[in-house]
Amino acid sequence: MQTSGTKKAQEYYKHVSVFWTDLLSLMMSKPYALVAAGPMRKFGTNMKKLTTELIESNDDLVEFNTRLAEYYKQLTDTWTEAQKQFNKKVPEIPNDAEHIEASKRIWIDIFENNFTNLFDSPKFAENFGKMVSTELELAKHWNNMISVLLDNANLPTRDDITEVYKELHSLKKRITKMEKDANHRMVMKNGK
Amino acid sequence: MVNELKIDPKLVEEFLSINKNIFEAPKLVRAPDEINLDMTPYDVAYSEDKVRLLHFHPTTERQIKTPLVIVYALINRYHILDIHPQKSWVRNLLNQGVDVYLVDWGTPTNTDRYMGFDDYVNGYIDNCVDFITKETGEETVSMQGYCTGGTLATVYAALHPKRLQTLTLTAPVIDGKKDTTVVGNLAKHIDADKLVDTIGNMPPEFMYFVFSVLKPFEQGFEKYVNFFKNIHDKDYVENFIRVEKWLSDTPPIPGELFRQWIKDVYQENLLIQSKMYVGGKQVSLKNIDMPLLTQVAVADHLVSPECSMPIHYAVSSQDKSLQIYTTGHVGMIASSFSQKRVLPEFGQWLKERSKK
Repeated sequence: MQTSGTKKAQEYYKHVSVFWTDLLSLMMSKPYALVAAGPMRKFGTNMKKLTTELIESNDDLVEFNTRLAEYYKQLTDTWTEAQKQFNKKVPEIPNDAEHIEASKRIWIDIFENNFTNLFDSPKFAENFGKMVSTELELAKHWNNMISVLLDNANLPTRDDITEVYKELHSLKKRITKMEKDANHRMVMKNGK
Repeated sequence: MVNELKIDPKLVEEFLSINKNIFEAPKLVRAPDEINLDMTPYDVAYSEDKVRLLHFHPTTERQIKTPLVIVYALINRYHILDIHPQKSWVRNLLNQGVDVYLVDWGTPTNTDRYMGFDDYVNGYIDNCVDFITKETGEETVSMQGYCTGGTLATVYAALHPKRLQTLTLTAPVIDGKKDTTVVGNLAKHIDADKLVDTIGNMPPEFMYFVFSVLKPFEQGFEKYVNFFKNIHDKDYVENFIRVEKWLSDTPPIPGELFRQWIKDVYQENLLIQSKMYVGGKQVSLKNIDMPLLTQVAVADHLVSPECSMPIHYAVSSQDKSLQIYTTGHVGMIASSFSQKRVLPEFGQWLKERSKK
């Protein structure tokens, strides 16, 4: 059973907790509120969204850099290997026109083969696919941030435009179907 | 003169000659922007949104009664089928007495991002066929699909078999799982959902990347050296610039169409298994019962023969033929080889199956 003393202490701690949470929240909103005068009020409220997007995009940026580094590594390794093969096959670059032409052909063939093998390989496609995927994640964050700015300026966001495109597509379909039905009815009527 | 570095004078000569050609090039060659790729005259017979149905002017008396409608690919524009007077697919067919129509998809914009297979096949293509049958009084048409246009034509033939007299598929993308090209490899690993949801349409830049990994050294280096070497060969240069211009004109692919194409054809391989759905209907390849001609190229580095050939075995047509040519993807439709081999055979095949 709780004594009145314990109860009082509990209430006190609860009060302190709520007090500081609310106060901190109010204090945190002051900088926003300062810049959020008049038309900028929306921007102040949305600032948090921008920060969140920025923080989240950092993780994707790290992943993207890893994939990009791997992409360039694959290209460099293939180039080095192809150059090695070429050096083996053509140890000395001859200096007459005919041999130079032949060496050029060998160079192109070796490099073409090595790079086509790379681009054909699952390891390249897998890394490339993931690189594009993280790039798209970054683009998503960028789009979201732009949308926040557009929203602040009371302009249509990407989602708004997407909705319009969707609606347009659906309308077009309905109209085409109605036109086709009308034509069909006309043919049937005239036919009869 | 003493040559202390012992460099072959021929090399110096060649180097100087190429340099001279580079400087002379602007005087000898028209800039790509100054070239109009439209060659054989046509009328725009029908148009809907950005799609145009081109009807080419006949060059001789019509010898094949059933009109032919060519469904061009979704990548680049139709001009490759009429790129050069001596290499024109369209002109050759006109000269054989074929009545040629061609579907030009135009350049989709962001407003087209929700256009999918259903809109293209049951909408645009079907409306084009409607128009042709009404205009010509013929009940059916012959259809030819090239590359991804072959995929669209296949789906159309499966969903509207009664409307086609014959079907010709030239390097069609059918069995994505079996495709052994770099394109197939990348397509299998791309997150189509994320791409479409984030960007909308498939951007041309992505296609340029795909082109850049196809024979990068021959296409990215040697062909330009050869161009400057041959700068005084008017015919060579004209053809080169026209093809380059065609290559650089890559329209975006509508998002939903791209999503379904990548997922259903390459990743989940639904088309060849007759498990793909378009406009709520199952695309059963067994519905394809009209005469079928499949044309594949052994050196095709964009759509491998293994990817195209399964259609020959999947359909229920009794009259079917599989032609394998020793050329490449573009060589099959725009080369001296196609003029000498592919087109005469195609024309003959059409003639034998056209309505009398």
